[in-house]
Amino acid sequence: MTFLQPLLLAALPLVFLPLIIHLINQRRFQTMRWAAMMFLLAANRMSRGFAKLRQWLIMLFRMLAIATLLLAVSRPLASGWLGLAAGGRADTTIILLDRSPSMQQRGEGSADTKLATGKQQLVQTLKLLSSGRYVLIESSNNQARDLETPDALLNLPETEPTSAAADLPAMLQTAYEYIQANKSGHTEVWICSDLRQNDWNAESGRWQGLRDSFLELPQGVRFHLLAYSQPASGNLAIRVADVRRAETADSAELLISLKVTRESGVTGQPDDSRTVVPIEFEIEGSRSTVSAEFVGREYELKDHRIPIERTRKRGWGKVSLPTDANPADNDFYFAFSEPAPRHTLIVADDPLSVRPLQLAAAISPLPSAKNEAEIVTQDQLNSVEWQKIGLVLWHSQLPEAEATKHVETFIARGGQIIFFPPREPGSQEYSGVKWQQWVESPKELVAETWRGDQDLLSNSLSGAALPVGQLEFYKYCQIAGEIIPLASLPGGIPILGRLTTNHGGVYFCATTPAASDSTLASNGVVLYIMVQRALNAGAAALGDTRQLIAGQASTEESANWKLEASTDAGFSTEYPFHRGVYSAEDKLLVINRDAAEDQAAVLGDERVEELFNGLDFARVDDRAGNLNSLIQEIWRLFLIAMMIAMVIEAGLCLPKVNRVAGATA
Amino acid sequence: MFTERRSRSFIDSHVLSRLASVPLMARRPMQGNVSGRHASPHRGASVEFAEYRKYVPGDDLRRLDWRAFGRSDRFYVKEYEADTNLRCCFVLDTSGSMGFGSTGITKIDYAKKIAGSLGYLAVQQGDAVGVTCVAQNVVRHIPPKRNAAHLMLFCDVLEHAEPKGETQLAAVLHELAETVRQRALVVIISDLFIEPNILRDCFQHLHFRHHDVAVFHLLDPLELSFNFRRPMRFLDMEGGPAIFAEPNEIAERYHKALDGYLTGVKEVVLESAIDYHRISIDESYEQRLLQFLVGRQRAKGVR
Repeated sequence: MTFLQPLLLAALPLVFLPLIIHLINQRRFQTMRWAAMMFLLAANRMSRGFAKLRQWLIMLFRMLAIATLLLAVSRPLASGWLGLAAGGRADTTIILLDRSPSMQQRGEGSADTKLATGKQQLVQTLKLLSSGRYVLIESSNNQARDLETPDALLNLPETEPTSAAADLPAMLQTAYEYIQANKSGHTEVWICSDLRQNDWNAESGRWQGLRDSFLELPQGVRFHLLAYSQPASGNLAIRVADVRRAETADSAELLISLKVTRESGVTGQPDDSRTVVPIEFEIEGSRSTVSAEFVGREYELKDHRIPIERTRKRGWGKVSLPTDANPADNDFYFAFSEPAPRHTLIVADDPLSVRPLQLAAAISPLPSAKNEAEIVTQDQLNSVEWQKIGLVLWHSQLPEAEATKHVETFIARGGQIIFFPPREPGSQEYSGVKWQQWVESPKELVAETWRGDQDLLSNSLSGAALPVGQLEFYKYCQIAGEIIPLASLPGGIPILGRLTTNHGGVYFCATTPAASDSTLASNGVVLYIMVQRALNAGAAALGDTRQLIAGQASTEESANWKLEASTDAGFSTEYPFHRGVYSAEDKLLVINRDAAEDQAAVLGDERVEELFNGLDFARVDDRAGNLNSLIQEIWRLFLIAMMIAMVIEAGLCLPKVNRVAGATA
Repeated sequence: MFTERRSRSFIDSHVLSRLASVPLMARRPMQGNVSGRHASPHRGASVEFAEYRKYVPGDDLRRLDWRAFGRSDRFYVKEYEADTNLRCCFVLDTSGSMGFGSTGITKIDYAKKIAGSLGYLAVQQGDAVGVTCVAQNVVRHIPPKRNAAHLMLFCDVLEHAEPKGETQLAAVLHELAETVRQRALVVIISDLFIEPNILRDCFQHLHFRHHDVAVFHLLDPLELSFNFRRPMRFLDMEGGPAIFAEPNEIAERYHKALDGYLTGVKEVVLESAIDYHRISIDESYEQRLLQFLVGRQRAKGVR
């Protein structure tokens, strides 16, 4: 129970007023000489059970009447937000709004999404509680923005749903920075989210730092989590895995591979029922449908052929599913064009030592595509046609001066680079990372952990893990600097890591394919897949089309974008966050949701509690489409209770039938 | 030789003059010592024929019925009903509880008015009047006499009666049943705060001794209503322990006890054929006496 006027609760001791009056009354007794003592004595001897109970009940109802009156004037709120406003009115209220696609899930029997319901609830709640200042931090831009009133949540385009995933730790970091910069006094932080694991990133080390930071703040910060964690039972999500344009003898066709995933049932068990789902393909306005019949959780369609005009070298399309619980994952955009050149540049001082790399880069996985791999030394970099290069395999001293400029330009354009350690590591460094000493292990080492969920070593489309564990490492070069490990040896020694960059990809491999260093070459599957994936990513940046994950591109980048097709496009400033097809200069940009959004895993209650451990935290679970306000004033109920208490008290106080007339007859 | 004429607070001459029109009658034959207006169990010399009886030697020859002798050749004596006066014994409860009164008059005052008025009326019609004041024991007792001087004494006793001490009415009634000569009118004026079962024995004892028993049961209206608002500490007027009570809490049980008691008394008086009058002392004593006298007028003549 929370109150809008908690100070009035200080008057609660008045509840004991009837008791005090009773005690005073007892002390103010009258003394009387009385004749009919025999009846008083007889009355005293009689059972006084109910009479005594009646007196206590009268006292209780009097106290209850006062208590309910006091509670009513304290303006109680009906909600599960324990301790909501006990600290009084907040100086600043910060709203963290999760706009991720999963928040577009609709409630059962309702057209309202989790996001819309959450906004409504927040508006109603915050209007009731009132605050000196309202600040919105939404998941797409992750910037603090002042709101005049909570009502603005309903009208702002920045609160509309997007296809971009949320990063809750980053949003909390922004909130922390705002509180620190503005010295915002007593602050309430409201988080509206569906607790998806990919949005919360609960394993991130940032949480510990955030907790410590918030705990150190001198002013009190209270966290309120409005959680919409209900699963969308049976929800289908579609994702295009691959699109290729192929030419036949007299025409052309698109080969589309896609995957449909079905969310677990209510019980958490996969739904084994046989389901037929029509999948609609739309390519430049022309539509076709395929019925997909699948059992279990996933359905894959491999190389579905759709004929197109031979003259159409480039274009875009969309696959979509019928409307279900979450419309945000029912369509997926793709673009196609002629395959981009797949050129790999290998920078090495000794061409022989990089022969395995050259083979891995030069052998194309598809007969229709042609790969090329060129070996140069650092001195020859000026003569390289960088605009044709998709991947650089750098097996030499880290770039210096002019070479660094070439590399940075290449990376900024979307190129990929993998650094391999030279035999004699120098003092050069790249973005704070440099090679240290070679370490030779007395016996072969095996990768202990690797990231199978994303990046170069991610599992195959069928879900099978790469055989990274079969690789053996005899020597490795220590890496100094901050990188994100993708594969680690026992003891956490990174064997493959990635540098955090805005564009492109910069990887450091701590060993070489040389037979004396590792079995990367002899057990070449991992090396080949790694190189080909990096090449694919680099070539994609070179091609006429670009596949982007929503939120990946910056708003500055999208200044010149032009909308071609979209389901939920917002303002042009929000283009990078909305799925759809955009054109920029001569390229087609396709934006879709992150693959992690299709995974319905939700943070457990205990895990959420752990994340806010030590902080002033309250949580309430709501559901999409809930029409009942989270909190509402219930003083009327208390007034009614008071009146009922008074009526009962009066009833108990009523004297019994007057016996005087009967007695004297 | 006459005592000084004194006014008595409990005797109202106007009331007495109005009540004088209705004689005080006994419901049962009385045994007086002079002629009066009450039926006697013996044959006497009134004008009302009773029966013929065979002459036995020693009978007054003047009472022989010669006509009956002429018809039957046997000697018969003609007998007539006897009229006698009565002995009216007032039993006045002077225990402490009789001092209670919430309406400006106490029960003892009310009792004095009843006793004084009835005593005067009785003496006026030639009946003997006596009084016994009872508290823990017999406080004061004067035997029934019928002269005017005795009435003065009777009134003096009444005037000096004061409520004091506990009630031992039951024991005194048993004592009186034995000591008062048979066939008297016993008028009990009390608040009767005694268990009904004990009362039953007393009344039946009096009835067995052929006494005509009349009871004036005096109760205060406050005792009947028990209408209190504030917590009260009740001090026993007869010296018992004090009781602290919350009226709201105890009123219901008090009324229950009172009802049970009154019902018990009613049963006792019905069983004992007592002339019972329950009086709330805020009522007019003149009216209640009138009812009493008229009621007895109707019941007279039973021999």
